[in-house]
Amino acid sequence: MTPANDVLALEIDHLTVSYRDRPVLWDVDAHFPAGALSAIVGPNGSGKSTLLKAALGLVPADAGRVAILGGSSGSARSKVAYVPQRDAVDWDFPVTVREVVEMGRYRSVGWFRRVGRSQRAIVDDCLERVGMAPFAGRQIGQLSGGQRQRVFIARALAQQTELLVLDEPFAGVDARTEHAILGLLGELRDHGRSIVIVHHDLGTVRSTFDWVLVLNVRTVACGPIAETLTPENLRRAYGSDAVVAEEPEPAPWG
Amino acid sequence: MGVIAEQLSATFPLTYSEAIVAMGAAILGIAAGMLGALAVLQGRSLVGDALAHSALPGVAVAFIVTGAKDPASLLAGAILAGIVGAFMIVGIERTSRIRPDAAIGVVLSSFFALGIVLLTYISNTGGAQQAGLDTYLFGQAAGIVERDVEIMAVMAGGAALVVVAFFRIFKTVLFDRSFASSLGVPVKIVELATTALLVVAIVIGLRTVGAILMVAMLITPTVVARQFTNRLVWLLPVAALVGATVGITGALASSQAEVPTGPVIVLVGVSLAVLAILFAPGRGVAWRAATLARARRRENTSGVLVALETAMHHGAPPTPRELALASGRSARSVRRGLRDLSRAGLVQRDEGRVILNERGAAAAHAALESRRLWSAWLEHGWRLDLPDAREADPRDLRASLGDDAVDQLVVLEREATA
Amino acid sequence: MTTLFSDDVTIILTAGLVATACAILGVFLVLRRVALMGDAVSHAVLPGIVAVFLLTESRAPFPMIVGAALFAILCVLAIEWLRGTGLLRADAAIGLVFPALFALGVLGIHRYAGNIHLDLDSTIYGEIAFAPFRTVEIGGVLVAQSLIISGAVAIVNLALVVLLWKELKATTFDPEFSKSVGLNPTWVSRMLLVAVSITAVTAFESVGAILVVALLIVPAAAAYLLTDRLWAMVAIAVGIGWISAVVGYTGAVQADASIAGAMGVTAAVLFGVALIASPKYGLLARRIALHRRRRATRPVAAQEG
Repeated sequence: MTPANDVLALEIDHLTVSYRDRPVLWDVDAHFPAGALSAIVGPNGSGKSTLLKAALGLVPADAGRVAILGGSSGSARSKVAYVPQRDAVDWDFPVTVREVVEMGRYRSVGWFRRVGRSQRAIVDDCLERVGMAPFAGRQIGQLSGGQRQRVFIARALAQQTELLVLDEPFAGVDARTEHAILGLLGELRDHGRSIVIVHHDLGTVRSTFDWVLVLNVRTVACGPIAETLTPENLRRAYGSDAVVAEEPEPAPWG
Repeated sequence: MGVIAEQLSATFPLTYSEAIVAMGAAILGIAAGMLGALAVLQGRSLVGDALAHSALPGVAVAFIVTGAKDPASLLAGAILAGIVGAFMIVGIERTSRIRPDAAIGVVLSSFFALGIVLLTYISNTGGAQQAGLDTYLFGQAAGIVERDVEIMAVMAGGAALVVVAFFRIFKTVLFDRSFASSLGVPVKIVELATTALLVVAIVIGLRTVGAILMVAMLITPTVVARQFTNRLVWLLPVAALVGATVGITGALASSQAEVPTGPVIVLVGVSLAVLAILFAPGRGVAWRAATLARARRRENTSGVLVALETAMHHGAPPTPRELALASGRSARSVRRGLRDLSRAGLVQRDEGRVILNERGAAAAHAALESRRLWSAWLEHGWRLDLPDAREADPRDLRASLGDDAVDQLVVLEREATA
Repeated sequence: MTTLFSDDVTIILTAGLVATACAILGVFLVLRRVALMGDAVSHAVLPGIVAVFLLTESRAPFPMIVGAALFAILCVLAIEWLRGTGLLRADAAIGLVFPALFALGVLGIHRYAGNIHLDLDSTIYGEIAFAPFRTVEIGGVLVAQSLIISGAVAIVNLALVVLLWKELKATTFDPEFSKSVGLNPTWVSRMLLVAVSITAVTAFESVGAILVVALLIVPAAAAYLLTDRLWAMVAIAVGIGWISAVVGYTGAVQADASIAGAMGVTAAVLFGVALIASPKYGLLARRIALHRRRRATRPVAAQEG
């Protein structure tokens, strides 16, 4: 029915996820076009992170279907690079920046094998692109918040996937890094990659992104920015009028 | 003490020495239950394990210094070593990058290694006098005499007095450390006191349960008690009671079978804890699993019902397979949902196709209505005028919000769609 | 017939190899913050050993390893289950399960103490002093059995860690991410704990139950204070293990005390040294750095203020 070049990056159909007996996501339909920079926005507790995790098969869904680049979740998962929220990360862990980025190659290296030379060239390239090459030998805990996030972006780049999924990548990140990362993601988009980001800053979403899903437990709206990020939809998702202001929220330390 | 023991052996079918053992075990259980609770609630129960292990070198050093097996001085050595161990754990955690689990592990195994070096040194040089020091490893209730029980009773009584006198302070610190310190409670001193009390409980149990297994005696009574009460005021006495029961049962059984007491007490206690975890009403695993399974099933059935209604709305009655495809549910979930629906008399089968009957359609509309209300709550809930902090329960909006609020919601939704 | 090593050398080599096997795994226990799971598992193998002993009436290593691994898995699953109920915290779950299993083992030993050559003392203290007496013949020379077993376990552990190096690294560092690239942190963790249990059961005879824990945790924790490189951490932990073996043995012979205990005490002393004097993370280094920082910032703060 759909032509091959019109495949969606991520398609979510009737997705329901509950924690114990409380619904976290409820009959969510959404789709994200390929080759676009898409955002997922919504208030706290609206299920944004859960949506990503369920789409990647990291949490079980009660009902629903997910298609990644046209394929069903199981095999398609290798086509996604995921940048999780960083609270589970152990910053004291004795690894260097380079070793972290190498982890992006683990799926293609396979069990029991070591990371080879051709793989290391990819890692070098990714470090270069996020500007972390001079810091490759540092222990991960000795970096700033922004530098750490650059490393995780590099790790996702090293996975060389069609689709990049990022969960709140700019939490605790300085404005310069946010700008640099957004620029890099835009570049990737221009080269045909698809990117989906859970994001809270409606200002940047409006100025930089192509597509948005407004989520509050169920889909409020999903589509191109201009038609979707309307005051009406935001009010429906966030409730109060406070967040509907057009200006970007100032970063806490900007 | 002797008088009570005589009384006991007169009223119950116990010999005098058994009565002493039972009293010792009861005191141990009360102390471990009540004082262990303070550690368990702080999430530091394994500190108790480390402190119990570190009591061992204390006993050995006290023996080397005094050259005699006087229970009072041995216990003093154990208390001292336990407190040193506690300081070391906190010191390692606070001053280095070592995490609590490793800090506990390091102190536990280091002190125990030292204890073993000292015990073997004593036994290789000291001769017959040391015989009995290794009862501190696994405990030997049968060897307890009146004087031991007296010392234990004094320590347990003192500790209980402290807990009762400062109960409110303990409660505040246990629940919210930073709030307590904002009130001007000397949190560090209170935590030190909790640790000291824990050491007292451990030392009381050292002769009966032994250093290696003492940790279970600190944990089990609280785990059991927690299954039956939500309140700290009740938790401590219930834990003490459970501790005493476990202690007496284990101690008497072990002295009759002539095996080390520690393992028997631990097995009695842990069995009780597992039973409580599984079957305690309300909080038990079996209980909650049943509730959750019922809720999930209800949720699934209602989901299938709505999916069926939607499918019938769009065209011909679907087969279960088509229904699964259209709703994104697994075949199993649809099969189960349909089974429940037909049992409730809401659907009929017709040549493999599923048809919603009149009652079914009504039920589907009710389900859709409740979903629409939930949607309306998500969207307009912030504008509702509610008398208190109540929140919506998606399973039953009317019950959780009240009729008045639901009526408001309906109005708000109508305004929004109009 | 000649023996390969003198008694002293056999004991030290056995101790060093046991310490090596433990330290390699201990590094990951410490990094994964499950040091006390290692403690729990090494206690939980006791009933497995006793049960196999009662069933087969032999000390053959292979059945013992199977029995111990079974109980270790039981222990891990029981702790995971208890934690999963959400009714008690992780530490309380650990503190319920392993004492129960250990208690079973102790009772088993006690009950059948007459029939089996296994007693409580050797369970706690280990019998490394007897290591040279049980020998097997290989190519015309006598080698201590314990030397072969502990060597084999050390090699197996080393191989395991080398083969699963990147899996262990990724699942420990960032479990959420490692799941998204198809690794399973739960299984990696269980595999690690089964390896710990096998190490524990083979180390049981030589160093006893609780000292296995000392050799698992203490050298790794000390190494954690000394380096920021994973491979270096493994190497340093193994090194500390060997120093403990040599110094512990010498000290124990001098003082006529338990060799295993003396090894644990040596490791503890080395940990203390690292805690105080580590060039980067030691107490002294931190004090000095703090002092310097204060001196450096004071004038700046004054200007700003």
